[in-house]
Amino acid sequence: MNGLETGKPPLLEVKDLSVSFGDFEAVKTVSFTLQPGEILGIVGESGSGKSVTCRAVMRLLTGAARAQGKVALDGQDLLALGEEELCAIRGRDIGMIFQNPASHLDPLRRIGQQVAAPMIRHLGLGRREGLRRAVKLLEDVGIREPEKRARSYPHEFSGGMKQRAMIAAAIGCQPKLLIADEPTTALDVTVQARILQLLKELNRKTGLAMILISHDLGVVADICSHVVVMRNGEVVEQGPIDDVINRPRHAYTKLLIDSQPGRKTYGTADRPDRGAPLLEVENLSVSFSSGKGLFGGLAGNSNSFRALDGVDLTINAGETVGIVGESGSGKSTLARSIIRLNTPSGGAIRLDGQDVGALGGEALTAFRRRVQMVFQNPYDSLNPRLTIAEAVAEPIWRHGLADRKAAQKEADALLEMVELPRSLRDRKPRQLSGGQCQRVGLARALALKPQLLIADEITSALDVTTQAQILELLVKLQRERSLTLLYISHDLSVVSSFCQRVYVFKAGRIVEEGVARQVLSTPQDPYTQALVGSLARLPSLQTTPSAEPVSIHAT
Amino acid sequence: MSLLQLIARRLLQLIGVLAGISLVTFLLVHMAPGDPARLLAGERASAETIAAIRSQYGLDLPLWRQFLTYLVNLLSGDIGQSLRFQRPVSQLIEQFMWPTLFLTVYVICLAIPPTVALAILGARRPGGIADQIIRLVGIAGLTIPVFWLGIMMSRFFGVSLGWFPVSGYGTGFTGHLHHLFLPAMSTAIWLVPVLTQSLRAALIEKTTADFVTAARAQGATERQIFWQTMLPNAVLPTLNLLGVMVAFMIGGAVIVETVYAVPGLGTLMVNALLGRDYYVVQGLTLVFAVSTVLITLLVDLLTAFIDPRVRF
Repeated sequence: MNGLETGKPPLLEVKDLSVSFGDFEAVKTVSFTLQPGEILGIVGESGSGKSVTCRAVMRLLTGAARAQGKVALDGQDLLALGEEELCAIRGRDIGMIFQNPASHLDPLRRIGQQVAAPMIRHLGLGRREGLRRAVKLLEDVGIREPEKRARSYPHEFSGGMKQRAMIAAAIGCQPKLLIADEPTTALDVTVQARILQLLKELNRKTGLAMILISHDLGVVADICSHVVVMRNGEVVEQGPIDDVINRPRHAYTKLLIDSQPGRKTYGTADRPDRGAPLLEVENLSVSFSSGKGLFGGLAGNSNSFRALDGVDLTINAGETVGIVGESGSGKSTLARSIIRLNTPSGGAIRLDGQDVGALGGEALTAFRRRVQMVFQNPYDSLNPRLTIAEAVAEPIWRHGLADRKAAQKEADALLEMVELPRSLRDRKPRQLSGGQCQRVGLARALALKPQLLIADEITSALDVTTQAQILELLVKLQRERSLTLLYISHDLSVVSSFCQRVYVFKAGRIVEEGVARQVLSTPQDPYTQALVGSLARLPSLQTTPSAEPVSIHAT
Repeated sequence: MSLLQLIARRLLQLIGVLAGISLVTFLLVHMAPGDPARLLAGERASAETIAAIRSQYGLDLPLWRQFLTYLVNLLSGDIGQSLRFQRPVSQLIEQFMWPTLFLTVYVICLAIPPTVALAILGARRPGGIADQIIRLVGIAGLTIPVFWLGIMMSRFFGVSLGWFPVSGYGTGFTGHLHHLFLPAMSTAIWLVPVLTQSLRAALIEKTTADFVTAARAQGATERQIFWQTMLPNAVLPTLNLLGVMVAFMIGGAVIVETVYAVPGLGTLMVNALLGRDYYVVQGLTLVFAVSTVLITLLVDLLTAFIDPRVRF
């Protein structure tokens, strides 16, 4: 497992690698080595320089970047190679897969051709032989009906299948090293578990060495033997995975480990006395007409798609309720239906016994004050032309709660409450970090003093440490303002550490509901069990062995 | 497979569009000021003559009967009689169509190679010297009015240097090429900058596309990346723009054809309008509309051929 002991020469040696864009040093004297057959993890938050490091290894950075130091693959210095020699190594000796498989596949070419292209290029195969091997590779990475699927285009593939195709293209020439840049971040948890499983098997069967870049320490701990922790372009700590996780030496590593969802419990665990139900959702259904029914590939093949199908749920006053599910399970549709952005096709939503759908005029405005929502992408949901203080003040004067001057004053107080420094109040959203922006989104939602706050994946776009801070803030705000919270997330571990009750969504239906802890520890429904089983957690926390046999076939 | 389905579906839609076009052109003449019967009969005709003409041409029938007759005639290729030339409009159009079509194809052939070359040159280094020069010269080419450029070029190359004839259509293929060079050139000078800007922008956008990075990571050379990945992905917006431009050129060849006295549809249109030759105007409107529809269809099919995502 640890190649250092075998005394073999390293496969990849990175020494004092520095990358700068103009005056900005993105990577500062980074050094690490990778032994043949080893899986090395690089963890760090966005902007820590982990992707830049790996792109520098592949020499994939734009012309504006300057890389210095030494990157040696089998003793050959990659930084000194000419364009032609580089092209011979890329795809041949080093394969690479990326975060977003959807945008990294050429939309105009068939999957089979794209998988075959590196082999035709590097191994001198004919088109027919290349395609034949591509079909074989697609089968190896777990794609059903590979012959038929090789003739498909990328848009006909699901996210997990696209990533499998990318992997197939990357391993076709049997490279010595595979660089995986956040390969599962854009995928659902169950798909993520299968892709990681596939990578592990590749490593075990063929001895393929890998560098796995991730912001998720859980994923890295699951698959890597060594780990490099990066922050602000520097390596803060590296070593065997068990040492780093169980005995972190650097304060930042400790913070990173503590911020892992599920690692921490937030102060809401006390069971609420069952107050009166604040929001009731009864037999709610929402359909969208898809109109694409002529073409295959769409489940159901009918002309309307049921995003929600007979959903019942209740939220009591003062409660924190979590909703978990993968993309497309109808979580966001539910949130949008509650605030009347979607029109239900059946069922009812009642706030304090009042039918939300029947509201109009003054009653509707009052309803909007009582129920507020925070959105997933903090940048997209703030008006880019307003300063953050103006953005927070806007709902206050728009609802006529105060004149503009008083609203500004109140906005300042709100910004203080979400722990944003006063010096930021005149900035535009673009000039803030993601976490700061999300705090602004929270402040704006709280400006109208709502009773019910809907948080739709509000931490999904954020780093783990920022996520932990935002969650803490939410707990604090909830305590101070007696908020009722509907927390929507794809991340089961966040929900279970944070919510009292949880509903698990799948394909527009609720498959399981109950007390959050119980649902996580003893899931009843097979789907929830699969979800729990695919959680990549830190080893020291792994109380239940994930013996759940996960099919490695793509779905 | 799905490409064939698409073609079948688009052809079906075409029937509806053509029916709509025929209705509009029919109503166009009906709503034009003036009484066609009076026009046919002449200024000093008696009321009886006008009534006779009216019933002879079926103008006293209800509107829908007239439209039906018009449709039936359309289907048999009869789009009326020119009042001025006393010949069937279809014959006239057929006679004047070829110079315009020749000119259009000529312009496309002249415009596409420099467009691709200039766009590549500009996109290679956005903001570089080559890019700036191409942009500035392009703006100049855009702002110079076509009629002025036409007159200047015919004076310089035609009259002063005597290299090219300044009017007419010539005989034989090489004759056409020779005669139509200046008109095609004046149009292309205006067309190339438009297309270049579109293709350049798309190319620059695709340079940073993720799938280009992925192709590079798989060891593709820059040349392979450009021709196999970037260009096919970048060409679609420009192709659609070209379609619109070509449709516009067929209908809007008036200026160039007038300046260079090319006996094309534009010239026919101007003369018909000036001479109040309603049925010719109606026929030409029909031809312009149908050609626009056909070119759009062609562009859509080409787009679907290149991009599998639009084959729905």
